[in-house]
Amino acid sequence: MQNVNTQQHTLRITAQDQPTVLERLLQVTRYRGFLVTGMTMFPCADDNALDIELTVQSDKSIEQLHHQLNKLIDVNNVTVDSNMIAQCSA
Amino acid sequence: MASDKAQTGGALLFNVLQQHGVEHVFGYPGGAIMPIYDALYDSDVKHFLCRHEQGASFSAVGYARATGKVGVCLATSGPGATNLITGLADALADSIPVVAITGQVPMVAMGSDAFQEIDIFGLSLACTKHSFQVRDVNELNDILQQAFAIALEGRQGPVLVDIPKDIQTALVDNPVSNLPQSQPVLVNGKSDHQLKNQPANVGTALALLNQASKPVLYVGGGVGMAGAVDELRSFISNTNIPSVATLKGLGAVEPTDEHYLGMLGMHGTKAANLAVQECDLLIAVGARFDDRVTGKLNEFAPHAKVIHFDIDQAEINKRRTVEAAILGDLKVNLPALAIPLSIDEWQEKCKKMKDDFAWQYDHPGDTIFAPALLKEISETMPKNTVVTTDVGQHQMWSAQHMLFDHPTNFLTSGSMGTMGFGLPAAIGAQISRPDDTVIAVTGDGSFMMNVQELSTIKRFQLPVKIVLIDNSKLGMVRQWQDIFFDGRLSETDLSDNPDFVMLANAFEIKAQVITDKNQVSAAIKEMLAHQGAYLLQVKIDATDNVWPLVPPNTANDKMMENR
Repeated sequence: MQNVNTQQHTLRITAQDQPTVLERLLQVTRYRGFLVTGMTMFPCADDNALDIELTVQSDKSIEQLHHQLNKLIDVNNVTVDSNMIAQCSA
Repeated sequence: MASDKAQTGGALLFNVLQQHGVEHVFGYPGGAIMPIYDALYDSDVKHFLCRHEQGASFSAVGYARATGKVGVCLATSGPGATNLITGLADALADSIPVVAITGQVPMVAMGSDAFQEIDIFGLSLACTKHSFQVRDVNELNDILQQAFAIALEGRQGPVLVDIPKDIQTALVDNPVSNLPQSQPVLVNGKSDHQLKNQPANVGTALALLNQASKPVLYVGGGVGMAGAVDELRSFISNTNIPSVATLKGLGAVEPTDEHYLGMLGMHGTKAANLAVQECDLLIAVGARFDDRVTGKLNEFAPHAKVIHFDIDQAEINKRRTVEAAILGDLKVNLPALAIPLSIDEWQEKCKKMKDDFAWQYDHPGDTIFAPALLKEISETMPKNTVVTTDVGQHQMWSAQHMLFDHPTNFLTSGSMGTMGFGLPAAIGAQISRPDDTVIAVTGDGSFMMNVQELSTIKRFQLPVKIVLIDNSKLGMVRQWQDIFFDGRLSETDLSDNPDFVMLANAFEIKAQVITDKNQVSAAIKEMLAHQGAYLLQVKIDATDNVWPLVPPNTANDKMMENR
């Protein structure tokens, strides 16, 4: 359910190419109150890393998810693009 | 010593533990971890057999909390591993460095629903700081080095390493020695926030501090975890700032400091809560605005600007938007703000509140008053005694009425609030600090949750003292049922408890039960003088409540008090 504060954000994540890294990202994203609405993932050409683009939706602060994902040991870097999608009235 | 002879994964594990100074581990063997237990047989690492893996994980937590070292626990696959989970969750929630080693079924059987197979890696995601599953014996050394580094780096926490049985028996290409390594492993340095990179924040914070007329220092568990008790105390002596502490922050401030107001929050002192509600500047140090601290969040410290010191960037602005954040090591950062303050009027007001609302110990009748008993134990116990608690009324009374002069001397399950913590944590503390007195304060509900660990006390002849506050109830839940659920006492009666004295005696532990105020002093003396383990069962009135109480989602100045 979207409410007036729901926002969509795109997270660009560089992570180590570990078989477990996706589970970690998704677990933290769910626990912190974000719905995943899109995901792409492909290996970087160089250095054993993955490029992951995660589109998420929530009424919570994306900064908080940014910091929580950034704490993951296997995550190298996270950047956020945000745009308001929902202005539905209650 | 590095040996030329072939080294198995299991043998490598114990050498790496020794490299990291691990002398003691807690665990329980089983099928999928047998090669590790076989390697233990040849190792100098001492293993403490607990009687439940949950006991092993809490003993590792107690060991870590009493010393600041990494606690280590071992369990087999499947149920052994799942039994560790509560201890790991507790360690994550209270930021305690623990390394848990689990056996796993052989790689060829993994994913086949094999006997005692569970996806412990998947289960660990929500209750560890990080976890590993080893897939190649030649990665084991690097993984274990990382596990220790991650457990201790930045905000500390538990790390799980799941090792399939065939990795435990496989031979490594490059054997490792058990000698300390000179090169510390740096995992990612993400928490390496340098003060010099935050000049604007320090400037803002200094300006806020200079402008404040009613500042309060809000001290959390991060101070002890950072080893910054000395820096905190010199900050307090330079500023003479009134201070309050969280449950896990108890012991960081010198408890006799004239400007210290005690614990804040749901069961905090009236003076601490009123001072925080009135302050114009709140300086949070290694604290995280937990709901048990803040009460109704948008009415918490409503007049205050906030300076927040923390090592974890994710805690900044999580529950309270702050005016200045200073990230990184408290040992480095606290001295940067330790300036003299002119706040005489505020100091006097806080001191007056502290005097006006001091604890009262009058209690009618002959029945023992737990707060007075705990105060007397606190005044009688030797310096550097470690007190552990379980969870409930006795825990809050201990936090309120006992004084601790260091955070490593008060071990309580803060964030997770885990019943069953106290006894195994006391075992871990006693093993890490064999020369100090260790007292587990427990309740009749909590005690039964890991009562099997009495057997560990017996086996290793540990002189742990147990003070069992017995109201034949799940007292805290009963208190809430009386106050918030119209006295409908649903499933909180424990009047059919076992005979605790007989139970202790069955484990060759000396015990006595007391029921009357005039027995208290002699009983405490006897317990503390006794050389071995001792259980003191203290019967109290089942209607005694913990006061003050800030009801849930209520501002902290609207506390209920004893009527």
